[in-house]
Amino acid sequence: MQKVKNLIGMEMEPYTFKVEQGKIREFVQAIGDSNPIYYDIESAKREGFENIPIPLTFLTAVEFWGGDNFLEHLSNFQVNPVRVVHGEQEYDLIQDIYAGDILTVTLKVVNVVVKHGSTGGMDLITTENKYKNQKNELVAISKGVTIHRH
Amino acid sequence: MYFDEFNVGDSFPVLKKEKITRVQLVKYAGASGDFNPLHTVEEVGEQAGTGIVAHGMLIMGMAAEGITNWIPRKQIKNFKVRFKKMTRPGESIHISGKVLEKRESNTIVGEVLACNTDGEVKLAGTFEAIIPSRDA
Repeated sequence: MQKVKNLIGMEMEPYTFKVEQGKIREFVQAIGDSNPIYYDIESAKREGFENIPIPLTFLTAVEFWGGDNFLEHLSNFQVNPVRVVHGEQEYDLIQDIYAGDILTVTLKVVNVVVKHGSTGGMDLITTENKYKNQKNELVAISKGVTIHRH
Repeated sequence: MYFDEFNVGDSFPVLKKEKITRVQLVKYAGASGDFNPLHTVEEVGEQAGTGIVAHGMLIMGMAAEGITNWIPRKQIKNFKVRFKKMTRPGESIHISGKVLEKRESNTIVGEVLACNTDGEVKLAGTFEAIIPSRDA
C-alpha cells in the first residue's frame, strides 16, 4: 500500500477511443437532451460544425469506456472506492471534436491535498486528462476533483 | 445573438427537466460507462446510507443542455462545476443561469445552477463562450 500523496505526478498509460455517432446519441438520450445538432448532421452543419459534435460533458464517457479504471487503481493508494465522491469537474474545449474522431487520452494526477478535520479527514485528488485527435492536435483538457473521505 | 445583446445580470430561460427515474440512471450508466452500483443497485444505496443517488455527471449533462439551449454549442469554450448535493430518483432538476461578466475578445462568462424544485442547489458552475460581434 502506498500513501495517497505518492499519486502526485503519476501518469496512466495513454489510450485511444473512437468517438462514435451512436454513442453520442445514446449519451444525449440518457440526459434527455434533444438538441438536433447531436442527432442530425444537417443541423450540426447549420451551426457551423463539419460533423456531429460531442456534447459538453461527453468526454466522461470516453474516460469510463476507454480508460483503465482509475478508481480501481486508487485502491492501491489507501483509497476506498466506496468512500469516493465527485467534487468538481471542468472542461476546456479547445477545438471541435466530432463523431469519427479518434482520441488519444493521457491522465495525470496533478495534485493531492490531505485535509484533517474534527469529523474526519479527506483526500482531494485532482486529475487532468489531455485529449488529442488523430491529427495530433490538442482538442480538450479536463480536470476533475475526486473526494475520498477517510 | 450578438455580443452586444448580452448584458451582465441577464437571466437565461429556466430549463425544467422531467423527474429523474431509475430507468434514466440505468440508461446514463450504460451511456457514460459509470457502473458504480450506488447509482443503480438498491442494496448498495442502503448500505451506503444514502439510497440510490444519481450520477453527478448526469446533472452536469443537464446543466450542459441548459447552456447549449441558451448559447450555440459551437461557441462554448469552457464549462466547470462544483457538485454540492446528491440527487435522488424522483427529483426534478431545473437549470438556471445568468451572465456574470463580459470580457475582452468577445468572451462572456455565465453562471449555471442545477436545483431541485425546493431550490436546493445540486451543482453550481460557470461557462465561457465566445460570441460574435454584429459586424463580424
